[in-house]
Amino acid sequence: MDPMSAPPPAPVREPAWSLSRAAIGLWVTQAVLGTVVYAAIVTAAIVFVPADAGWAVPLLRWLGPAFVLVYAVVAIAIRPRLRYRVHRWEVTAEAVYTLTGWLTRTWTLVPISRIQTVDVNRGVFQQLFGLATVAVLTASSQGTVRVPHLEVDVARRVAEDLARRAELVRDEAT
Amino acid sequence: MTGAPEALGRRTSPWVLLLHTVTFRQARALVPAVLALGVTRGLGDGLGTVVALVVGITVLSLLGASISWWRFSYTDGDSAVVVTRGLLSRSARTVPNDRIRGVEVEAPVLHRLLGLVRVRIDAAAGSVTGEEELVIDGVTRAEGDRLRHRLLTHASAQDSFEGGRHAAAEPEEELLRFDYRWLVYAPLVGSYLAVPLAAGGALLRAAEELPDQFVPEFWSPDVSDTRIVVRLVVSGLLLLILGSIIGSALVNWRFRLLRRGGALVAVRGLVTRRHTELDIDRIRGCTISEGLGMRLVGAARVSALVTGLGDAARRGQVLPLGPVELARALSVELVDHPGPLHRHPPAARRRSIARGTVPGFLVAAAGGVLMAMTGWWPLLAAGGALVLLGIPLGLARYGALGHVAGPRSFAIRSGWLVRSHTVLQDRAVVGWEVRQSLAQRRAGLVTVLACVGAGSGGYTARDMAADEAAEFAQAASGSWAGTLTPYG
Repeated sequence: MDPMSAPPPAPVREPAWSLSRAAIGLWVTQAVLGTVVYAAIVTAAIVFVPADAGWAVPLLRWLGPAFVLVYAVVAIAIRPRLRYRVHRWEVTAEAVYTLTGWLTRTWTLVPISRIQTVDVNRGVFQQLFGLATVAVLTASSQGTVRVPHLEVDVARRVAEDLARRAELVRDEAT
Repeated sequence: MTGAPEALGRRTSPWVLLLHTVTFRQARALVPAVLALGVTRGLGDGLGTVVALVVGITVLSLLGASISWWRFSYTDGDSAVVVTRGLLSRSARTVPNDRIRGVEVEAPVLHRLLGLVRVRIDAAAGSVTGEEELVIDGVTRAEGDRLRHRLLTHASAQDSFEGGRHAAAEPEEELLRFDYRWLVYAPLVGSYLAVPLAAGGALLRAAEELPDQFVPEFWSPDVSDTRIVVRLVVSGLLLLILGSIIGSALVNWRFRLLRRGGALVAVRGLVTRRHTELDIDRIRGCTISEGLGMRLVGAARVSALVTGLGDAARRGQVLPLGPVELARALSVELVDHPGPLHRHPPAARRRSIARGTVPGFLVAAAGGVLMAMTGWWPLLAAGGALVLLGIPLGLARYGALGHVAGPRSFAIRSGWLVRSHTVLQDRAVVGWEVRQSLAQRRAGLVTVLACVGAGSGGYTARDMAADEAAEFAQAASGSWAGTLTPYG
């Protein structure tokens, strides 16, 4: 069955904007590295664990490489593109709104009046691809919005704009 | 002795020296080091060594306590509280009065003997660092009351001026008083049952550490005799019940909930007397929680959800244990109730049963593989039993689900082991999170999380109908949540 044939309508609105296309490259890089690590672990296991060690070992000798192969195909070829299609973000007049996740989808909405701090973070790989993550924090430990993988100057502009607007409409009720 | 900046600082009572020495407060960290030293150098097992150790640790404690007492001072100014401390690196922590969320005055048993109290000041920090707390340990009771009064009236006096002037003679209104008949609920509350178990565990550990000649010879029971086993089990249960009642009585002794000016005051405890003050302006909602056992006898507890209050589960408690009708009545006093809950759609019942039976199916699958390979069937049988048990569990969890949005507040209920019914004001919401897994997508359900800067930080309505989510969010917070409405 093709799950794409009749997707049920989204429960809430989709945010309007996509992430930077460079994010695909970043996710692919991360997936390649992950594959290399898993392959190294499986290879080490095959080399160092004797084949006649126990009842499940012959099975695992086949399952390990199969897992690495499946992971490589999903994580390198499928997941980055799917993620890029799904991940969206938007800053409206009143709120910051994001959609993330590729299997379980998560929509997060935070009103600008409740923003406490806005951070711009750049990981090692993000720096390679010229990307940055904007993190919007509120008084709730669970009410944090992260907009991952925007181009650096976009991220900076968004963070400045949000911080300035939050200052103007800050609501001390919380 | 003290420099110019500390000239105005107040000090704690010198009696804390005695307290901290007796409880080895500063030297506690040294004990493992001393023990390790002793082990490596070889401890003589004579009485002399023990005495020397005790004297040494006591002297160290006294020294540590004196230094920290000498270098500790606090100032409650017009705009901020400043606590200065530290021997070599001086640290002065300043908390502006308008960031103070709550003041707790507690009097542990040794403090009470000396007429002292410990004051904890809760301050809201940024969301990332969480709550900050100032502790002023060892001031007189009068000074503790003065501090609490001054800090809290400051905190609210800025908007309501008369709070500051009449606060001294403010009338107290008693909302609630603990009825000792409620103690019979205690054996059905998980946390109170844990009290005697913890005490038993501590006793066992202590017995293990005693040298052998001091341990009394226990009567070892004849386990083959059923009557003796039954008697042991029954007396164990009785002890557990008694212990939980005693534990609950110690913690909730003379519990009273008062309204004094703009604050709710909860006082409780026999050994350690706690005096917690909550700013009514900062109460955003409340949770009524009923455990499985509590539901059998109609008992409940109520916690107020206060913005920026650290250790919310304990400090927010406004009714530690009581009849459920009273709990409801109290929660209505704290926050408007939005009306009867809406049930979740039938698809949610199917999801709930599926969730309940998944562990059983996994165990059964593993059991099936095992039986095919080795012929060992009990795991398969256990898996089957778990699947069967998972069905009523799923139904019960579904039965607890509910949500409703009213004009100024909304409510969410969930949970089977502990069913919690949370009512929150609309203005409490600082964000929404809508989640949909693949299975939920097919079933047309979503999980909605209301992010709140109080209590546990987020409250979840699981498996709501997908097309209700946007409407609920908007009705339960404000027009800004209209962003969620599809195609708008």
